[in-house]
Amino acid sequence: MEAFAKLSGEIQELVAEFSSAPVVGDLTVGLTQYSFWLLVAAAVLCIAMVVFVKKQSLVPHGFFVNGVEYLVEYVENDVAKGVVGTEWRRHFPFLATIFFFILINNFIGLIPGMKPGTGAIGCTAALALVTFVYFIYFGCKKHGFIGYWKSLAPAGVAFPMNVFVWVIEVFSLLLRPITLAIRLFCNMFAGHIVMGSFSIMAALFAEPLLEHFSAVNALGALPSIAWLAILLVIYAVELIVAFVQAYVFTVLAAVYIQIAEAEGH
Amino acid sequence: MKNSYRALAVAAAASCAALPQIAFAEGTGGAEILIPKMAEFVPALIAFLIILFVLAKMAWPQILSTMEERERRIADSLDEAEKTRQKALADRKASDDIVTDARRQAAEIVLAARQDAETERSRILAAAHAEAEDILAKAHASAEEERRSIYADAAASIADLSVSVASKIVAKTLDEDGEQRRLIERYIEEAGSLNAD
Repeated sequence: MEAFAKLSGEIQELVAEFSSAPVVGDLTVGLTQYSFWLLVAAAVLCIAMVVFVKKQSLVPHGFFVNGVEYLVEYVENDVAKGVVGTEWRRHFPFLATIFFFILINNFIGLIPGMKPGTGAIGCTAALALVTFVYFIYFGCKKHGFIGYWKSLAPAGVAFPMNVFVWVIEVFSLLLRPITLAIRLFCNMFAGHIVMGSFSIMAALFAEPLLEHFSAVNALGALPSIAWLAILLVIYAVELIVAFVQAYVFTVLAAVYIQIAEAEGH
Repeated sequence: MKNSYRALAVAAAASCAALPQIAFAEGTGGAEILIPKMAEFVPALIAFLIILFVLAKMAWPQILSTMEERERRIADSLDEAEKTRQKALADRKASDDIVTDARRQAAEIVLAARQDAETERSRILAAAHAEAEDILAKAHASAEEERRSIYADAAASIADLSVSVASKIVAKTLDEDGEQRRLIERYIEEAGSLNAD
């Protein structure tokens, strides 16, 4: 199969295309294709929120207002109130913003030709770092700087062990932003790589038929239909993943905030 | 909210200072993909912090207050509706009681009126009977008196006439001192009493 022979090279080309490349400046100072689409998503989010705030009324009308309100209530009830608890109101702006920011970025990336801002580790690292600093800050604020770091060791554990556990807890604490960043990035990046792979396969198998119509080429192009069908299924799954990853990131942020503010471990 | 902004400011400062610059350097091989690029990290950080600041300041409080206001109004409306329903039920029960009472009173009034009317009718009837009896008795008495008077007058007239006739027959007055006249009158009276019996 000639198509399979070409596939390896095409996939490598695809992965290279998905690697960060500067559109302005270089990789240190400038914008990559991911940062560009992240800024586009940020602008879309701002516009959407302005429109929503203007349209929101005591009696909500229309799909847009009701849809956004449904998501806001979801974050409020399932994440803020459900996880953070009584202090939910203080942390709701952060949680809601991070949820909508990631969600819009994920969905923007699903539009063909666009890239998700969250498909670059630099972008997800920024969000993870903000989250990390945020919950550490509130942990220190609640318990005091020393009190917070001391609270990482579980109470009631004997002297040599509690130091050991404290070290493990600190290590686990420092891993949190890394896992947050990598989880979100890998899910978005891998999803797009898989979708790209299947679209390449669909194109490769159909290519001979498009160049020259013949019975043999038509027969050879049949697998393209299967690849397209799989691509559509993966696309549908990616729509769910886009939402789920935004939710997971936000819930974990809420959990970390709740743990940081909790009275005892 | 103010604390949130302070936290974000710390986050911004930490993001630039805490991460070693080496981490953003271009790596080689498969691990390169997991190394953040400054060209992505910094715009994402700044964009997110700006959006967080703006939304936290201008959007989320208003959105939450609108939703809570709606929730409160719906709850109030439901409470009000429930109260109104309870009041309507109570009013309906009260009005039913009033109607029932009014009907009972009306029935009592009608019954009393019927009894009064019956009593009055009986009284009027009895009075009418009594009056009729009285009138009849008076009429009888009057007729009797009239009859007696007529008899007396007739007796006097007959006596006078008899005396007159007798005088003419005997051409003189039989009894100047009226002895005959008294006999005739006594005779007529006896005759009248016999007739009255």
